[in-house]
Amino acid sequence: MKTALFIAIVLAAGCFAGTIHGLANLAIVEPYLDEAIGIENQNLFASGEEEDTPQFQVEYDSYRIWQKGGQVLAGAILGTSIGALFGIVFALSRKILPGNNHVKKALVLSGIMWFTIYLIPFLKYPANPPTVGDADTVVLRAILYLSFIAISGFGAVGFYQLLKRLEKRKRFVAFIGYAAFLSTAFLLMPENPDEVTAPMDLVNGFRAMSVVAVSIFWISLGVILGALWQKYNPDKQIQTKTY
Amino acid sequence: MSQSRGITITTTGVPIYALILLAAIFAFGLFVVGYDQGHLFSVIMGETAFEESYLHELTHDMRHAAGFPCH
Repeated sequence: MKTALFIAIVLAAGCFAGTIHGLANLAIVEPYLDEAIGIENQNLFASGEEEDTPQFQVEYDSYRIWQKGGQVLAGAILGTSIGALFGIVFALSRKILPGNNHVKKALVLSGIMWFTIYLIPFLKYPANPPTVGDADTVVLRAILYLSFIAISGFGAVGFYQLLKRLEKRKRFVAFIGYAAFLSTAFLLMPENPDEVTAPMDLVNGFRAMSVVAVSIFWISLGVILGALWQKYNPDKQIQTKTY
Repeated sequence: MSQSRGITITTTGVPIYALILLAAIFAFGLFVVGYDQGHLFSVIMGETAFEESYLHELTHDMRHAAGFPCH
């Protein structure tokens, strides 16, 4: 394998897909974030922690510009990060993934990873807009979310190992096992300790757009990495020894 | 008379150092966007970094939108 090319393809695919994710968020998630932060501000004014003054508005606008600009940059960083993980899994599994070209193979894998390490953890711990979430519980919530991603992801790897060892007609057992394993984890893992106090229309709209944007990321990642792999083929390293 | 023979080897394995490098990039990027509350900059800025939370504010919107707990 051409290792430098492999790493470059993986990181470039992640960075591009992450940038697309950031732009998608700006277009469809950002309005919900603005609305939620507006409610946060009203709560601050009502409690007397802040005053609705022109100076507050200047500071608020300034840091919102920083945060909105960061949306795309953070998308590129997160995309590169998840792209690195995706690249590892793709490199190790590409020969057994279904599909007659690398784009199809990468799309199958991105679908599997979207389901196991994004959608399932999301169903247990859905995304929340600002105004939802107590700062005192953020470490606990971070641990719970990351733990559930790990449980689902490593569970999928474990049950895949089981699936490989089963006869073809018994392979459904691995899927049932994974479903039972996750159902148990769903029941045993603690709930998010924070009460949702924001309007549910806002929360549900935010969550729906969040899912759409993350799904756009995973599709983009699969297509871009697959296309780059197809075009540059880092596998193609031929050594000819003549004697 | 000398005879020349050739063999062709195609290698498709992934070097372990490449996997380690990518795993490190994954962990670092995930921490920066999903979890940093001033930790990275505190190496340079000290305790002030936890109050300013530059990276937290920079990644704030993505953190919410991608499903990470934020505050």
